[in-house]
Amino acid sequence: MARYIAQRLLQIILTFFLFLALSYMLLEAMPGDFSQLFLQDPKLTLAQREAIAASLGLNRPPHERFFRYIGSFLRGDLGVSFQYYPRPVVDVILERAPRTLMLFISSTVVSFYVGFFVGKLLAWRRGRVLEYITTVGGVTLYTVFTPWFGLLMIWLFAFTLDWFPIGKFITPRLWRDAPVEANVVFNRMLLTALVVSIVLLTWFILTRRIDTRRRRVVHWGGMGLGLTVVVGIWGASGLGPYALNILHHLMLPVLTLTLISFAGTMLLTRNSMLETLREDYITTARAKGLPEKVIRDKHAARNAMLPVVTSLVFSLAFALSGGVITEGVFSWPGMGEVLLTSAVVQDIPMMMGALIFTAIFALLAHLVVDILYAFLDPRIRYG
Amino acid sequence: MATEERHNPFATAQPAGDGTTLDQQERERLRAQPLWRVRLKLLAGTLWNNWKLFTENKIGLIGLAIILFYAGLALAHPLLMGRVWDPLIYDPVIGFDPLAAPHPAPPSAQHWLGTDPLGRDVLSQLMFSTASEFILGMVAALITVTIGTSIGALAAYFGGWIDTFFMRLADLVITLPAIVLLIVLGGLFTLDLPLLALVIGILSGFGATTVIIKSQALTIKVRTYVEAARVAGGSHWHIILRHIIPNLLPLTFLYMMFTVTDAIFAEAILSYFGLLNIRMSWGLMIHTTQSAGYLLNFQTWWLIVPPGLSITLLCAAFYLVGRALDEVVNPRLRKR
Amino acid sequence: MSETILRVENLTMHYTTRAGIVSAVDDVSFTLDEGESLGLVGESGCGKTSVANSLLKLLADNAVIKGGQIRFKGTDFVPLSEEEMRPYRWRNISMVFQAAMNSLNPVYRVGDQIIEALETHLGLYSHAQARQRVTELFTMVGLDPALMDQYPHEYSGGMRQRAVIAMALSCNPDLVIADEPTTALDVIVQDALLRQLKTLQEMIGMSMIYISHDIAVIAEVSDRIGVMYAGKLVELASADEIFHHPVHPYTVALMSAFPSVTGPKRELQTLAGEPPNLLYPPSGCRFHPRCPFATEICRQQEPEFKDHGGGHYAACWHPQEVTA
Repeated sequence: MARYIAQRLLQIILTFFLFLALSYMLLEAMPGDFSQLFLQDPKLTLAQREAIAASLGLNRPPHERFFRYIGSFLRGDLGVSFQYYPRPVVDVILERAPRTLMLFISSTVVSFYVGFFVGKLLAWRRGRVLEYITTVGGVTLYTVFTPWFGLLMIWLFAFTLDWFPIGKFITPRLWRDAPVEANVVFNRMLLTALVVSIVLLTWFILTRRIDTRRRRVVHWGGMGLGLTVVVGIWGASGLGPYALNILHHLMLPVLTLTLISFAGTMLLTRNSMLETLREDYITTARAKGLPEKVIRDKHAARNAMLPVVTSLVFSLAFALSGGVITEGVFSWPGMGEVLLTSAVVQDIPMMMGALIFTAIFALLAHLVVDILYAFLDPRIRYG
Repeated sequence: MATEERHNPFATAQPAGDGTTLDQQERERLRAQPLWRVRLKLLAGTLWNNWKLFTENKIGLIGLAIILFYAGLALAHPLLMGRVWDPLIYDPVIGFDPLAAPHPAPPSAQHWLGTDPLGRDVLSQLMFSTASEFILGMVAALITVTIGTSIGALAAYFGGWIDTFFMRLADLVITLPAIVLLIVLGGLFTLDLPLLALVIGILSGFGATTVIIKSQALTIKVRTYVEAARVAGGSHWHIILRHIIPNLLPLTFLYMMFTVTDAIFAEAILSYFGLLNIRMSWGLMIHTTQSAGYLLNFQTWWLIVPPGLSITLLCAAFYLVGRALDEVVNPRLRKR
Repeated sequence: MSETILRVENLTMHYTTRAGIVSAVDDVSFTLDEGESLGLVGESGCGKTSVANSLLKLLADNAVIKGGQIRFKGTDFVPLSEEEMRPYRWRNISMVFQAAMNSLNPVYRVGDQIIEALETHLGLYSHAQARQRVTELFTMVGLDPALMDQYPHEYSGGMRQRAVIAMALSCNPDLVIADEPTTALDVIVQDALLRQLKTLQEMIGMSMIYISHDIAVIAEVSDRIGVMYAGKLVELASADEIFHHPVHPYTVALMSAFPSVTGPKRELQTLAGEPPNLLYPPSGCRFHPRCPFATEICRQQEPEFKDHGGGHYAACWHPQEVTA
């Protein structure tokens, strides 16, 4: 298993450098050159332009420029943003990345879970009408024009029903007297989520061997205890209301993104379940006199999950794109939003920075999915 | 020990088939016909069977109906523009109707879907864009399947480093979100419709399509008739062109549908964010609405509902047709 | 005195397909005593697996039992719902499936899958006790108990078969149905497994229904043999009787169709034609198109499945007198 991870990491690094090379070529292919964008002042004389170009190293031979590019990247220097001048690109990325991560991870987890759950149930109960409705409904959600759908959600839930805020990330009024910066609160929330997940996972693994009767109590009890502790800590720190405010802003984007993404998982799970149900070990499970729910969940769904997880790689890209669009629509200040604005105003360094971030993120997410798959399928683990 | 000859009473039982004379007559008749005629008949038969399978699932028919509806819209536009509609008023890009002010005007007898904030007829815009959407989709799809099929077949057939290289490339393309790449491209270059179609086609072509077609090509490669062809002395190209690629065509056709969906959707997103250099499209209609500030205004529903709905409907239609074709191509998905 | 634990009477089962109704099992009746082993033999598609599946009501979506009774220790299974059948499954009747390669769920350890059965039916929740039981079972079938923590894909074909048998025996069933358990294995493993099965059966005293198309295998394990053809049970008698005094022409053909290692060398006699399409079964006796002794009555009327003396049942208008 460790060898597998090491192998994949190596592959990712290689792929990433291939990507860097391609993106560099893309930059080079751009009409005009960088110096023209850097200072779009028509009053500059030709000599001044050439001096600027020289200072940016644009008159060096191509391979030398490429290595400087890679070198800068490795040193963490991605240039300076045009629109946020003089903030360096890396700075902007570090500030915004956690927000995108939070949006992406919450919506992916929820949409996967919901999609899988619904797909599983749908495959178990077949029926012509139900299948039509699900397929048509699922496909509609999948292909709905995201900005339009997002705006619809805003109009419905934020504007008309006033359950959620219209956009952005925090309510400024509330935060005027805040003791800490929004980002600090946010990063702490992310950290909490991470710690809680790890603790819960370890708890589940440790209590695997307890008999089935008491296992449910132990699991749910553990979760409840964990959550109480977390809520307690946050309440005691006094940052509770601020965290809640952020969560409140998070909900509508997550809901929108989930609704759009879950359809793919649902349809795929349904098909996968239908195929799995024809396998021999399902007949054996029936013959063993196991209850329906056990056959469906423990035997069928667990195996049907495998192709769905594989396809998660494809839907990752879809979710990332969806995330970018959603951030745009909700003005959620993450990496996606900055990508969009940079593209429109032609802030090239920022845009490339966002692209590189997206690439690294996508590749790492791919790795996580691969590991997850190896974890789920013992044939890969002990193959 | 001598072998005992024993009369086997069972061997004299008549097999259940008919006499041989009927077979002989059939064979003579078949041989008399030219080969192309026979092939055509077989093709027609297969197409008819596939059509029956396709129509079994009403979903595919719904999709097909929607596609035909929009195709009709696209074809009707130039006819209307010349005869019924006055170009000065109804032109989708530069038309203007002074009488219907203030713009945007609600639907009326002259403007069935009202006018947009710049005074142009919405229905005309819708119909005009339909043609570009179709063309965009078709061109992108054709490029994708050409690339995907050739690369997939080559990778499957030759294996080795060709295979590894293209699979790694596909990995990269799949992992990266296409929209993000397109946004970046839109920021760096000025994208117009033909260029967009090309880019989308190339991106999709090297991505998931190649992987799937390659695995399908692999299953074809190991079939006995391919081995027979090789033994009979067929060259690499002969086998690839004559055997592998024709068997890939159903799958290819299937993926064309999905590419069209992706292309239309991507264009709409890019236009909406103002990153495309295009005369008129559904995404651009919504963009115009947004720039003029009418986006969240539900009073002026005719500004966003027609384009938004059309995008969804046409994308969904191609997707549904693709799914229905999937059942034809992949027998395991059929109900018993 | 062994009592009858299974009494099947006039069992009829149909499959509904797009092309029509397939009458897979038609009017099959037999009994099974405690400790007895019954072999069901016939060509592929003759309905023997369908009979086995019907016994446990493991019917596909398009299959339905049209008539008859399946009395297990007095209780008729046919009218029972899925929920009501559950307690009987595995606890009283268990099954070893055809091509058991895929009978085990690939994502769970083999031991855990057996423990699942123990928990469900025997209420054996203590992990330690369950593992103890699995160790016993594995030793019984000739497997190394350490293997119980491994996954199915790490087993060889023969090992998987033994594991599946161990699983079938786990809840001490009264009856085990083995559907072609050795078909996919090579002959040496097959031989070892058959011997093991026979020993186990005698040791535990359970009844067995053994299904196969291989008559040599059936001969080794069965006390009584039932011959099936095209969904009907055409002959049922003790193993000895079937081999030496076959009555139905189909059985006679079967007996003539395999070589004898010790007997005189003779030309193998095969049966021309194919089994009928069960969508449109032949009128009268389903064997008549291939039967050299068929007459008009065979074409018109189905023969009755009756006793031809000494518990030897057959359904034929022209019972053969063959001494082999």
